[in-house]
Amino acid sequence: MADQQIILDRLAEGVREMDEDLTLEASHEALDNHVDALTAINQGLVVGMNQAGLLYEQEEYFVPELLLCSDAMYTGLDILSPHIQRSSAEDKHKVVIGVVEGDTHDIGKNLVKLMLEVADFEIYDLGRDVPPADFIGKVKEVGADIVCLSTLMSTTMDRMVDVIELLKKEGLREKVLVMIGGGPISQAFADRIGADAYSENAIAAVADAKRLIALKKKVAV
Amino acid sequence: MITPQDRLIKALNGQVIDRSPCICPGGMMNMATTEIMQRVGSYWPEAHKKPQDMARLALGVCHLTGMENLGVPFCMTVEAEAMGAKVNLGSLANEPRVAEYPLMKLEDWETLPGINPGKGRAGIVAEAVSYLTSSKTELPVIVNLTGPISLASSLIEPMVFFKAMGKKPELVHEFLYFVTDNLIVFGRSMLQAGAQIINIADPGGTEEILGPRHFAEFALPHINRILNELQGEYQASMVHICGRLQSIFTEINQLATNAISIDSTTSISKLRSALREKVVVGNISTYLLQNAQPDRVKATGFNCLRKGITILSPACGISPATPLANLQAMVSAVHDFDYQNREVSSLG
Repeated sequence: MADQQIILDRLAEGVREMDEDLTLEASHEALDNHVDALTAINQGLVVGMNQAGLLYEQEEYFVPELLLCSDAMYTGLDILSPHIQRSSAEDKHKVVIGVVEGDTHDIGKNLVKLMLEVADFEIYDLGRDVPPADFIGKVKEVGADIVCLSTLMSTTMDRMVDVIELLKKEGLREKVLVMIGGGPISQAFADRIGADAYSENAIAAVADAKRLIALKKKVAV
Repeated sequence: MITPQDRLIKALNGQVIDRSPCICPGGMMNMATTEIMQRVGSYWPEAHKKPQDMARLALGVCHLTGMENLGVPFCMTVEAEAMGAKVNLGSLANEPRVAEYPLMKLEDWETLPGINPGKGRAGIVAEAVSYLTSSKTELPVIVNLTGPISLASSLIEPMVFFKAMGKKPELVHEFLYFVTDNLIVFGRSMLQAGAQIINIADPGGTEEILGPRHFAEFALPHINRILNELQGEYQASMVHICGRLQSIFTEINQLATNAISIDSTTSISKLRSALREKVVVGNISTYLLQNAQPDRVKATGFNCLRKGITILSPACGISPATPLANLQAMVSAVHDFDYQNREVSSLG
């Protein structure tokens, strides 16, 4: 029987190196050697995706590389997920995410979604060109902890203000954290419009989401 | 007296001029605001579809703001629509945008229609250019092309396209070659209608998205092919690249144009010292343009000119909610600046 750590390393390597074949092979190897599926995912695939995220932050990887890593990760997930022994209902934090109305550029949003999923958040993706009312509707429906707003265009930045205003009007602003990001967005803009966080990239977004949730829990206690 | 047309053409080509011009090129960096549309009586989305309205709006902008160029179209969707994308033309306050990609698999790119320059909105833009050039104006006409990466990722889901750069680089090049051929056709038709200047903006193909290696491999050669193929048909050219540029100064230097238009995230001083041969266009923050007082806008304009900007312009697409007074303040900066007071010589 192969050493479990070797298999986990191969899973991580497959994802990090954008190597779907290796990831596929290592995933089968994990199952054949009775490695727990959840362990294979969390200590193999997810580790690799986080390593890829780090390379992205260090500007070794860019969008094309990160997308290929995610393809490799999903290849592994397809094989391993059906074998997870589900425990009782998990209590994941819920995130509603979308590109604001007027803009259809969704690469950044998709990367944030991907990395939040990797970090075990439950994601409700509204897609692109999303009217403010749709964000509010989804936040209400699922009882979201966080709403993530994205735009690439300087001309549609103000739609973020519309969402925040509508949250206030509906009495939801105190209940849900607002994170924003995208090409023309800055910390100064986030401060100005009263968002809870500006995340520079998908990796930062995960850290911000975790930080905000922890902070909120602390305040609640 | 030098005409605005001569001044801008000379400025873009790095020749000596009396003072900096102030422009708003068009395309993603168009100048139609809600306030201006109301004053001119030509409104989005109709102005995207009617050549007279398009021309009237472009002329009205210059008349009201003092901006020193005419620029069309007002969006980045003309090419994508002509190549099969479904486009939502937006509203008074929202730009047109691609609603549906025509391509599912990159392998099927040969099924896409080419741009017919006489048809649809491609024909409308060329017609608008004819109106503008026959309007006895001394202002130069800038025609705007969507950059190859931005157009390509308007025809197929960008995730699929970007992944193919790693998996099927040959196929990506074939597709980009086809996309570029079509951009050349459209660019040529707008230039033949009488425009003097061409601007290529590729916000989807930035260094921040692609990284330096993919920028060099996929963006640079195809942008250059457009510029080289159309050379002789335009009197001056410029390229707008969004985002930070620090790690692609070498590639920017290889762009087959004299003039680079930059975003507000790029430091003017760094760019000027790295790219001594290039003319820099830019880069007043569009957020500032929308929200600051006119005095502040003008002061920022002065600061850009002091640091080595040759041609003053917004850094990115301006919001339709931008006050007219701020656009006027931006223009006043090039008239009132003390050109002795510069850190870097920028007038040729």
